[in-house]
Amino acid sequence: MSLAASQILKPGLFEGYDTGGLYDEMFSGPGQPRPEYNKLFQNLAAMAPTQFEERRRLADLSFLIQGITFTVYSDGKGTERLFPFDLIPRILSHSEWDRIDRGLSQRVVALNLFLQDVYGKQSILRDGEIPRSLVYSCPHFRREVIGVEVPLGIHTHICGIDLVRDSKTGEFCVLEDNVRTPSGISYVLENRLVMTRTFPDAFHSYEVLPVNHYPVELSRILRSLSPRGAEEAQIALLTPGIHNSAYFEHSFLAQQMGVELVEGRDLIVDGGVVFMKTIRGLKRVDVIYRRVDDDFLDPLTFRRDSLLGVPGLMGAYRAGNVALANAVGNGVADDKAIYSFVPRFIRYYLGEEPILRTVETYLCARPKDLSYVLDNLSDLVVKAVGESGGYGMLIGPESDRAKIAEFRERIRANPRNYIAQPVIALSRVPSYDPATGNVAGRHVDLRPYCLYDGQKVTIVPGGLTRVALQRGSLVVNSSQGGGSKDTWVLRGEN
Amino acid sequence: MLSRIAESLFWLARYIERAEDTARILDVNYHMLLEESAESYHLRWEPLVIMAGEERLYRKHYEQVNGQNVFEFLAFRPENPSSIVQCISKARENARTIRDCISREMWEDINGLYYTVLGFNPRDEMAAGPHRFCDKIKFGAHRFHGVTDATLPHDEGWEFLRVGWSLERAEMTARLVDVQYHNLLESLSSVGAPDNHQWMAVLRSVGAYEAYHRQYHPIIEPEKVAELLILHPLHPRSIRFSATEVQAGLRAVSGTSSGSYANEAERLAGRLVERLRYDRIDEIFKQGLHSYLYEVARVCNAIGEGITRTYFHYAVVA
Repeated sequence: MSLAASQILKPGLFEGYDTGGLYDEMFSGPGQPRPEYNKLFQNLAAMAPTQFEERRRLADLSFLIQGITFTVYSDGKGTERLFPFDLIPRILSHSEWDRIDRGLSQRVVALNLFLQDVYGKQSILRDGEIPRSLVYSCPHFRREVIGVEVPLGIHTHICGIDLVRDSKTGEFCVLEDNVRTPSGISYVLENRLVMTRTFPDAFHSYEVLPVNHYPVELSRILRSLSPRGAEEAQIALLTPGIHNSAYFEHSFLAQQMGVELVEGRDLIVDGGVVFMKTIRGLKRVDVIYRRVDDDFLDPLTFRRDSLLGVPGLMGAYRAGNVALANAVGNGVADDKAIYSFVPRFIRYYLGEEPILRTVETYLCARPKDLSYVLDNLSDLVVKAVGESGGYGMLIGPESDRAKIAEFRERIRANPRNYIAQPVIALSRVPSYDPATGNVAGRHVDLRPYCLYDGQKVTIVPGGLTRVALQRGSLVVNSSQGGGSKDTWVLRGEN
Repeated sequence: MLSRIAESLFWLARYIERAEDTARILDVNYHMLLEESAESYHLRWEPLVIMAGEERLYRKHYEQVNGQNVFEFLAFRPENPSSIVQCISKARENARTIRDCISREMWEDINGLYYTVLGFNPRDEMAAGPHRFCDKIKFGAHRFHGVTDATLPHDEGWEFLRVGWSLERAEMTARLVDVQYHNLLESLSSVGAPDNHQWMAVLRSVGAYEAYHRQYHPIIEPEKVAELLILHPLHPRSIRFSATEVQAGLRAVSGTSSGSYANEAERLAGRLVERLRYDRIDEIFKQGLHSYLYEVARVCNAIGEGITRTYFHYAVVA
């Protein structure tokens, strides 16, 4: 296809828009919007670029004044930044969402059963469905909680599962699971709020499924975990504090749910019970939605140098006097090497075929895979198994020799710590480029947020669409220059 | 309410008040001095630095005490923990740690004020004179009070805010009167005539100029000014009014009825209010204004410590 043939020629925001031969979420062909995007495209194409720019400025200002920022640490001192928001929404048709919803629900239930099993009877290890050595060598596997019974058998209360649409097939597949302390839901809710204010006209022409029931549902689940019963439940959200990159979200969720936002120094354990320090003395805490990693939760059990945690918390947890969400030790389920076994978990525990595809994965822990990976580093994506946020990653085709050589050494030194996958050409969505004042295709992923109450999985329709705002970039993480979009799931077909 | 939250509310209010008081003092003095002769410059800027309690720090950064330097020091200097910009930053930082406990409007207001303050270029403002900047701070603080009053439930959190800014105001007013009076005595002995000008500036800086004229003669007498600022029962910036607010806020938190006290902070606040209620200005002058005001500032400090020990950092017996 020649360049000119794939471009839109009509003047306006979309002038010169080029789908570049990749899967474009908005266009099935040059200038041909997909049915669910048609009305939005007409609306935007008719808009003067100056008018669009004005709305964008208002949206940015609104985020700044509300203090919807995250903190970046790459400069060593921590800087507050706006999470760039792109005004052009991403739209999912109802039927497409329905399949994602079923696929994710299936996956969350299977992950939960795996965690119950691996910290309980370990039948999956005995049956040889997954090598025992792979589980026990996982840096986030916590022997400390083997045999600990968690309330209602729930480990994965809150999961954020990253999906990408493969440009080759147009199909959604799972890129990674986040079942420890996934963040980003606050942006989903705030993005929607800002969108309805800046683009009320676009909402009039669509029926978009609402997302704002998330805090209510989360609060209901947290309450149900209380050892003293839901009626009396005192809930607290444990944050590492104001310097954490997701602090805004912690504070936002605490406020939305009407629960206490606490830091480690606000809590104290006495006689195996957790209390918080109030102006009227100590008050018992029943459920902690913790946004502090396992390592830092309790200096008596995990890292001794942790100042973020609460000494004795694990004792209270084991005694059943306090519930933690998510459960301790979940990192074994979202380890990037374990990831490749999740389809097996689904078959093993549920007797079902996985609805969502996973990406082919090479485990460097396996000698055969290792040699393939080392021979093909420049064509692969390499990831450290326990990292998140886009850190510890090599994108072969985008890396120079020095970087590849560096990773080769790292992988050789600790093969268990790395996996590799083929590069997925992520789909693109039209996004505004302030530098040119025009719209251009940018790569996106999708992180839906799943809540599990032990019976059913509730997923707010859509989730966080993260967009790599730099031209050509495949990295969507906020810490690496990514932004986000509002994600619309339509009630009807379009 | 978590102790940490109560503490942040208390300090949020104190920093806002400190920023406002500093802005008022700066603004009025600066403009008054424009009308003065150059010789008295040295004399008049010194009190501001003393009042801020940062004399040593000032000497570290500046050789001369003049309008430009003092303005920069009190308004912008990041090394000065009480500079206006630092106060607003710290107020906003406190608000940020408790934004789930204050209203969205309050947070957006203080956050907006913070970005406004950051947007000021110190060099431009120093060239333009402090009025524009100080006005923004003053009205920023007023708006914050208004937004707080209108959007936050008047529960115990609100009481900690009230205690915070009233305590800060009582202490700042005590320091202001003390330093200016000291200064006045010096000018009396050297110039030989009472300096009405200076007292007008004091009145203006606390927004009590008009109130003074309604209450007293058009002639400005130091004793009357002091009476208004220390003992007036209803003027919102007098020490007595502020101390009464502190006491009322503390009582609302503990639920103590009048005539008794539940903790050391309440005892000290109660005693201070009673003194201010029954003391007369001529007695205060006879006793020595400086020692009286020094004592007031000391008690304010002790009340702050008492609040901290009772509500924020009490010993936990585990």
